[in-house]
Amino acid sequence: MIAVLGLVVGVVVGLLVRPEVPAVVEPYLPIAVVAALDAVFGGLRAMLDGIFVDKVFVVSFLSNVVVAALIVFLGDKLGVGAQLSTGVVVVLGIRIFSNAAAIRRHVFRA
Amino acid sequence: MSDENTPQEPPAPRPADAGAPGPQPGPTAPAMTGRQRLAAGLWPPRVTRAQLIVALLLFVLGLGLAIQVRSNSDSSALRGARQEDLVRILDELDGRTERLEDEKQRLEDQRKELENSSDQAEEARKQTVEKERQLGILAGTVAAEGPGITLTVSDPKHLVESDMLLDAIQELRAAGAEAIQVNGVRVVAGTYFSDEDGGVGVDGKKITQPYEFKVIGRPQDLEPALNIPGGVIQTLEKEQATAEVVRSTKIVVDALRAAKQPDYARSSSS
Repeated sequence: MIAVLGLVVGVVVGLLVRPEVPAVVEPYLPIAVVAALDAVFGGLRAMLDGIFVDKVFVVSFLSNVVVAALIVFLGDKLGVGAQLSTGVVVVLGIRIFSNAAAIRRHVFRA
Repeated sequence: MSDENTPQEPPAPRPADAGAPGPQPGPTAPAMTGRQRLAAGLWPPRVTRAQLIVALLLFVLGLGLAIQVRSNSDSSALRGARQEDLVRILDELDGRTERLEDEKQRLEDQRKELENSSDQAEEARKQTVEKERQLGILAGTVAAEGPGITLTVSDPKHLVESDMLLDAIQELRAAGAEAIQVNGVRVVAGTYFSDEDGGVGVDGKKITQPYEFKVIGRPQDLEPALNIPGGVIQTLEKEQATAEVVRSTKIVVDALRAAKQPDYARSSSS
């Protein structure tokens, strides 16, 4: 419950405060958000499976974000940033879908 | 996005929680493992370390999500664009600006040209109208008014002949008369006088005494010109006619004459 509240508070604060994102981080923010979403879905699935460990969740969340940003950064340096970020988004999207499917089976039994 | 939480790594039994997008079917679920865990995680709320850590991470996620959505929606697509894209867009805009600038310059030149030519046309038209009025007064196609004199010749014995009237006309012209009419007939360059029974013909139209000349010109010049010794008036009086000159500040010469297209004479200037 508190975790859900955390998400809601984050969205509200982001909309109200309108913080300035440093220009250096800006290109990586969308990818990082998608990566974090993947981690959250993974965590939710683990919880429904009864194998949720908060340490694992924290590590996967952070490493997802960092690795996604790193890949995009590397792609920018190599001159294939656009293509690489597309690739990352596709891979993460697939993972999110498979996790969502597992969650769906738990929740709806279907 | 960066690290927000680090040092917590408890064994963490299985507190079971995460941000469920929508718990619609969850809390009222009957006894089923997955649903039960979800329901247990959502209600009642328990403050455990795992809950707090996950809440923190989800807070960061929500923050990033909101920022990204916001920046995407409020400042077009340029915000997330890559450097090379931006450079390309900038180049395109520069080229476009240049082209539009050129076009603007061209159109402005054109406009100036058109304005000039229409000004000139307007000026030429005005001059033409002015000239037409002036020529119309000479040719007798328009009415004229201005200072001048009225010369009335009474000839009860019908002794006045056409050459005397012609002399009078010549004298008036020499004195600077600009528009003349005799008994309602406009006197122009081609006017001729002829003798008729009991009167005088002007341009083939018979007029009878008293002959009334309406003359526009400078009265101070016209009157003395008629009065000079041995001049028009004395000659007329010798024929027992009376001539009377009245100055006026406003003489109206309103007898008109149709403009006539010359049959043979052509303008030799182009």
